[in-house]
Amino acid sequence: MQKISPNRMANKPKNNTYFQANFSLDIVAENALLLSWQSKISIAQHNEIITLQTLIEQQLGTYVIETVASYHCLMIYFRHQMITSTEITEQIKQLAKRHQQPVQLTDNNLSVDCIKIPVYYDIEQQWDLAEVAHRCNMSNDEVIKQHSSTIYRGFALGFTPGFCYLASLPDMLHLSRKSSPRTQVPKGAVAIAEQQTAVYPNQSPGGWHIIGQTPLPMYNTSNGQFNATINVGQNVEFYAISKAEFIAMQQGLSA
Amino acid sequence: MSQHYLEIININGQASIQDLGRLNAQHLGFSASGAADEFAFLTANQLIADYHSITESDQRQRNCAAIEITLGQISFRANATCVIAITGANCKAKINDIAIKNWRCYQLKTNDMITFAMPEHGLHSYLAVAGGFTCQVEQQPWLGSFAQTQNEMALGFTGTPLITSSKLYFSAPASNLTRPVVPVKANKPTSSPTRFYARHRLTLRLMPSVLFLQMSIEQQQRFLAREYIISADSNRMGYRLQSKPEQVRLFDQKILAESLRCRCLLSMPVTYGMIQLPANEQPIILMKERQTMGGYPVLGSVMQTDLFRLSQMRPGEKVNFTLINHQQAQQQLHAFYRKFSL
Repeated sequence: MQKISPNRMANKPKNNTYFQANFSLDIVAENALLLSWQSKISIAQHNEIITLQTLIEQQLGTYVIETVASYHCLMIYFRHQMITSTEITEQIKQLAKRHQQPVQLTDNNLSVDCIKIPVYYDIEQQWDLAEVAHRCNMSNDEVIKQHSSTIYRGFALGFTPGFCYLASLPDMLHLSRKSSPRTQVPKGAVAIAEQQTAVYPNQSPGGWHIIGQTPLPMYNTSNGQFNATINVGQNVEFYAISKAEFIAMQQGLSA
Repeated sequence: MSQHYLEIININGQASIQDLGRLNAQHLGFSASGAADEFAFLTANQLIADYHSITESDQRQRNCAAIEITLGQISFRANATCVIAITGANCKAKINDIAIKNWRCYQLKTNDMITFAMPEHGLHSYLAVAGGFTCQVEQQPWLGSFAQTQNEMALGFTGTPLITSSKLYFSAPASNLTRPVVPVKANKPTSSPTRFYARHRLTLRLMPSVLFLQMSIEQQQRFLAREYIISADSNRMGYRLQSKPEQVRLFDQKILAESLRCRCLLSMPVTYGMIQLPANEQPIILMKERQTMGGYPVLGSVMQTDLFRLSQMRPGEKVNFTLINHQQAQQQLHAFYRKFSL
């Protein structure tokens, strides 16, 4: 973990910014604090973020409405009627100071609890697989092989309910977003953009390149609870299925 | 089982069920949503609470789901007696063709018709009832709220969109209806809300982001000196602003330098009132139905009490920005909620 250099600190305004070793803490609204780490996709850094998230929820739960993690940020919504932004800032700084051991990540962590997502990688329906292959200068099969041979991590939930941002896509598949987003992306669409891949939980607009579709639902609900299939911090792997398997699984799930 | 309802007879604008929003499901990707103009929403519930002599210690009536009507043009028929409150944009409401005043409580009897016309100023009006409205019989809140979010309606967790013949259910507290129709306390609204809605220009007070403070004084001033026009594609999700053409004639005068813009590439959580600045430098202010994540650089956040006012402004009207510190913003919001015993 790289520390923030003194030079960068000197450039930061002092009035509403506080520093720990690795993150800055800014009051971004009457009821919200934003903790920001370095702007990069890193599993070690992300582990630190979700570890602190758990600590804050456990120990400052009375004051906290909820917390939202992403690649390099943690948003904390707090009950402004109960605590001032200055007070909760101080409490979070103290909490972080008391727990300064970063989580050590070994290769073993990556293979446990990996969610496996079946994908029908498809060119028949004129989604983007052929175009992605062309732009990345490889065959369709090579795109499929690259996409399905990587273990991804859930870095953030957002955009729409159950949409989990997964990273990192192999370098060879990095493409910027589509210049004009689609107004309708199908439910279960498996898509890529820049360093990321994701599954669209429902039909929605979307600007990512669609390379396939999964029959696996991205959430379930029971007793008024919403459970996302992929949660932040979890590992995910995709595997190719045939059209016949896709249809069979889809029918099996709806039966 | 409650079978008391108002039925939508005619709808030409937009309407949805709103309360203070779904504040603890953003980590799952749900929009916080909620009433656009909390002042008008909370006042409607306050009027109902006063009418029924609900004490300040009983906070349930403060956050009861109300009907948020956008640009009026809606009529309802009551199938049971009830007391309703109307607030927000003045839609020249009528009960059975008799004009009634805004910011007041009224009793509706079975088969009474209440109609709302297009307001002259403002956008959102609120129709509240004791215990709140639901769009399904015995509906339970979804993740702590009844608020409807347009982008999430297809998920089916918060009932169906409001259309002609939709029924808005409420539980009638029949015992309370023996009270006079026009109680004194519930009908002394201030005139200030109405005056406010007639304004066409608003200065928004913003808490600057770290990024804003890293900008040069010239760049900061460029942003603060501009007057912006509210664009036609603004909605409950976000207000899109356009600079006046004469202010951007010198197109090399960027607000955000490329060296700062390129530091903001990864999606991050976003909150109510954040001002995003896409590459075209036309700011977007995130409103109640915002998404939970955003990828554009953020210049700061508009204080919430100003956002309630902004939500009533229409495309073509003008805003500019000035700075405020977060302590002042927090104190103002605190004072705002205290007025409503929240």
